[in-house]
Amino acid sequence: MLQVNALSCHRQGEWLFKELAFSVSGGELLEIRGDNGAGKTTLFKILAGLFDDYEGEVTWEIQDPPLYVGHRFGLNAQLSPVENLSFLVSLNQNAPARKDLEVALGRFNLADVLDQPCRSLSEGQRKRVALARLELTDSQIWLLDEAFSALDTKGRQVLTELCQRQVAQGGVVIFSSHQPVSDFDSARVLALGKSV
Amino acid sequence: MNPLIRECKILVRSPADTVQSVLFVVIVVMLFPLAISPDPTILAGIAAGLMWVVALLASLLAAERGIQADFADGALEQMVLGKTPLWLLCSIKAFAHWLSCGVPLLLITPLLGTMLALDGLEIFWMLASFALGLPILSLFCTLGAMLTVGLDRGSALLPLLIAPFLIPTLILGTQWVQSGGQSFYGYMLAALLSLSVVSLPLATGVAARIAVSR
Repeated sequence: MLQVNALSCHRQGEWLFKELAFSVSGGELLEIRGDNGAGKTTLFKILAGLFDDYEGEVTWEIQDPPLYVGHRFGLNAQLSPVENLSFLVSLNQNAPARKDLEVALGRFNLADVLDQPCRSLSEGQRKRVALARLELTDSQIWLLDEAFSALDTKGRQVLTELCQRQVAQGGVVIFSSHQPVSDFDSARVLALGKSV
Repeated sequence: MNPLIRECKILVRSPADTVQSVLFVVIVVMLFPLAISPDPTILAGIAAGLMWVVALLASLLAAERGIQADFADGALEQMVLGKTPLWLLCSIKAFAHWLSCGVPLLLITPLLGTMLALDGLEIFWMLASFALGLPILSLFCTLGAMLTVGLDRGSALLPLLIAPFLIPTLILGTQWVQSGGQSFYGYMLAALLSLSVVSLPLATGVAARIAVSR
C-alpha cells in the first residue's frame, strides 16, 4: 500500500535521513524507532502529506487519506470531547451518531468528561480523545506519532487492541516510540538516526 | 459535526472576542467628537471615512483569532489532511470572522451614525456599504492570518501585508456614502465582493497548506 524510495530530507543543513527505502503492505505493523531529533515526526508528516520539502518518492495506493495523529491533537479548547471528535471524524466521512461517539470515548475511559470543554482536560485525557478517532474511522492507514507515550496502562492496552484489530482487517498501522513497545510481537522496526 | 456549527459554537463560547470588537469600535468613534469637535457639520463630513477606517482596524485586530487557535491545537493540520474541500473550510473561517466582527458592526452602525451626526439616509447608505464591504474585509483578513500564522512576529506582518488590499474597499465604501449612494460605487463594491468570495477562499486554502508544512 505504501512504497518509499530513496527518501532523503534535511533540515538546517543536516541530513535527517538519507536514501530511506521501505514498503508497507496491507496487514502490516511498522514501528519507527529513533532518538529525539532523529526525524520521526518529519517522516510522519511526509507520509501524511503535510510536508513536501524532501527528495525521493512516496507512493500511496489508497483512496482515503491516511489518518494522522500527531503531537497536536486538533482539539479545540472551547469544545467538548464529543464535539471535537465528531468534527474530526466528519472531515473525512459522514458525521458519527452521538451513541457511537460515546462508545468510542467510553472505551478510552472518558465517559465522565464527555461534555466538558477540552481545556479542562489533562494532557493524557486529550490524547485519549484524539485516539478515540481510531474507533470510528474508515481509514485504512493509521499514522500514530508517539501515540503510546503519556498513556496509562489501560489506555495502552486499548490502543494495542485497536491496532491489532486494524491490522487483522488488512489495514496498516505505522507508529513511533522512544522506547521499544513490547505490546506487539509482530511489528517490523524501522530505525532512524545515527545510533543504529 | 458540521464545520459551520463548530465555528458558531466556538464563537458563542468565547463572547469576549466579539465584545472586544464592538467595544473597540464604539470607543474610537466616541473619542472623535471629543478630540476634534462636537460640531455636527464637521462630524458628518468625516463620519463615513472614520467609520470605514475603524471597521478596517477592527477587522485586522480580529483576523488572527480563529486561525491562530486552529494552528496551535493542530485542527488546521487535520483540515488540510481531510477529504472536506479546503476552500470550503476556509470560506467558513471567513464567514466566522464576519459573524464575530462584521455582523456586530453592522448592528451598531445606526448608533455610531447617530453619534457622528449622520441623518437617516446617510445611515442607510452606511449600512449598505458595510453590508457589501465587510465580507470583503473578512475574506482578506482570513487570507492574511493564514499566510502569517506560525511565523515569528506574524502578528506584526499581517497588517502590513493585508492593509494595501483593503484600501480599494475602504475607498469605494466611503465614496458610496459620501456621494449619497451613487450607483457606480455600489456596483464596484458588489463586483469586488463577488470576486473575493470566489477567489480568496482558494488562496486561503493554499496558504493553509503552506502553514501546516512549516
